Amino acid sequence: METFQFLINGFGEALTWTNLFYCFVGVSFGMFIGVLPGLGPTAGTAILLPLTFSLEPISAIIMLSGIYYGSMYGGTITSVLINTPGEAASLVTCFDGHPLAKQGRAGVALGVSAIGSFIGGCVAILGLVLLGPTLSKFALNFGPPEFFALVFMGMSLLIGLMGKSLIKGLIAALFGLMIAFIGIDQSTGIMRFTFGQTNLASGIDFICVAMGLYGLSELFISAEERMSKKAEKPAKIDSLFPRKGEWRPTLNSIGRGSVLGFLIGLIPGTNSVIPTVLSYSLEKKVAKDPSRFGKGALEGVAGPETANNAYSGGALIPLFTLGIPSSPTIAVLLGALIMHGLTPGPTLFQKEPDFVWAIIASLFIGNAILLILNLPLANVWAKITMVPFKVLFPVIIMIIIVGTYSLNNSLYDVGIMFIFGIIGYLLKKVDIPLAPIILAFVLGKILESTLIQSLTIFNGNILGFFTRPISGTILTISIIAIIITALPAFKRRNLVNEDVEM
Amino acid sequence: MRNLNIYIALLLLLISGIIFWQSLLIPYYSPYGPGPGFLPRWTSGIIIILLIVYLIQSIRIDFISISEVMPKGEGLVNILVTLGAIIVFMIIIPYVGFNVSSVIMLTLLFSRGFKWYKAIGISVVVTFIVFFIFGSLLGVPLPVNEYGW
Repeated sequence: METFQFLINGFGEALTWTNLFYCFVGVSFGMFIGVLPGLGPTAGTAILLPLTFSLEPISAIIMLSGIYYGSMYGGTITSVLINTPGEAASLVTCFDGHPLAKQGRAGVALGVSAIGSFIGGCVAILGLVLLGPTLSKFALNFGPPEFFALVFMGMSLLIGLMGKSLIKGLIAALFGLMIAFIGIDQSTGIMRFTFGQTNLASGIDFICVAMGLYGLSELFISAEERMSKKAEKPAKIDSLFPRKGEWRPTLNSIGRGSVLGFLIGLIPGTNSVIPTVLSYSLEKKVAKDPSRFGKGALEGVAGPETANNAYSGGALIPLFTLGIPSSPTIAVLLGALIMHGLTPGPTLFQKEPDFVWAIIASLFIGNAILLILNLPLANVWAKITMVPFKVLFPVIIMIIIVGTYSLNNSLYDVGIMFIFGIIGYLLKKVDIPLAPIILAFVLGKILESTLIQSLTIFNGNILGFFTRPISGTILTISIIAIIITALPAFKRRNLVNEDVEM
Repeated sequence: MRNLNIYIALLLLLISGIIFWQSLLIPYYSPYGPGPGFLPRWTSGIIIILLIVYLIQSIRIDFISISEVMPKGEGLVNILVTLGAIIVFMIIIPYVGFNVSSVIMLTLLFSRGFKWYKAIGISVVVTFIVFFIFGSLLGVPLPVNEYGW
């Protein structure tokens, strides 16, 4: 009961006109970024982060959550209408969404996606309401070994699941870890890898890395091919709802997608592509006629789109309760929380209940706004896909530069972001995945501090982790996960997953 | 040597080598246990081994041709102009302020898709809007010249 009382208070906070306005602005901006092919939730959230600097923490995070949700859904519109996923998680939507558009049913595909996203998002948020406080209380008993084990699990799952080759995935993760060491060592105060540069003393700002690797590098890639290309005319949108007989299978898919997406969101180190791919194959397996898939099956849109949004909500649980980001976009949200003076982790629910519950309430509201913005305004969003890249490209570059500058009012940060933009561009050319770099970079500091604290507790004995039930179990699961993912990779030499969440 | 993988592996090897060498100069142990050099030394050491494997793989099986993946013609010009515009912006901004450097950078970028006079016009408008949003509304102290713009 106490939880629901908190939630009602949260609604009281989130439903102020100011916060509703920021939620609306966030969802709209997110949708806009998501609609632009190439820029996904990670880049979108990072690029728009500076807009929240002057806001109160609650309003700022409400706006960012709106951007996150909005950009997730925005990618769907381009997938359905012009067969170009705005972000990697929407790739699966192209399989059946675009064939539906070709049959003149683009509106139905978008309508089903919006309804599925709304339901999936609400189920996940409900899960967050029910599980969040309990999990965070449980996590209060965690010491450095348990946190180390959790971070290690996140990283081990991440390495196995991303990138075309295991070696490249590992290199990316270790590279991210290496750059996390730059700056003053927290325990001893020794300067590391700063090469005499005082600007590097506090380390490299996470947002600079995210903007460079995800924002700028993607623009470089787009500049190669799309500058002179004319935008494709999107399909026309009319009816938004399925036919009478299609409701039942669609709602079943939405139900399955909600559960699947939410559960995967709980696992650190996953990404939004996994629930969409799994949901698509699940729908195909349970369908009476699997041959319809790829030719315009509504379940092929409803399931993955729901799973995608449910994942977004589920992924907030490890962030709020443990302070561990599940995906690169969540890592940007973590950076934003820290920037606004909040410390995600087990104590967040205890120390900042007003904040947490206002955010959770605003997620419900954000979902509703998303639905309102999507269904009646689908044609308007479709028109945005017509804005030529030659107009958008310089403007986005300008916003990235000014946004990075405004982090610390420093041109040095712009330079760092520029360097990471070039690094990201080159790494993409050789299929080295970027997501492990970002996540390892964010988790690097927690990994190092918890490892060193744990080894100090265990007098340097690494086997000490296995003497504690929780850390021992999590580490064993992680090692098994590494073996399971590494074995086929060694046999086939390659893994087939693409890098995610541009 | 037209394999891009080899160049990337060598670049990353250079970075990792520097980090490994630097990590040797930092204490490996502290009075309470592992020191600030502990994890960097292991991380950079392991990445060097992996990069050597990657390098060998690149030479033997994983060929990514530079001419195939790097841009040519108009694409290459677009990339070079973009890189050049950002570099010019960063060099001149401390001297001429945000507005002038932004107009120059944007003109260079817009000139890839518009006639030069249109590019200048759009650049001035975009700069004004960005300066207004970030400088005035959001209160970001953008660098300005001696005239305050």
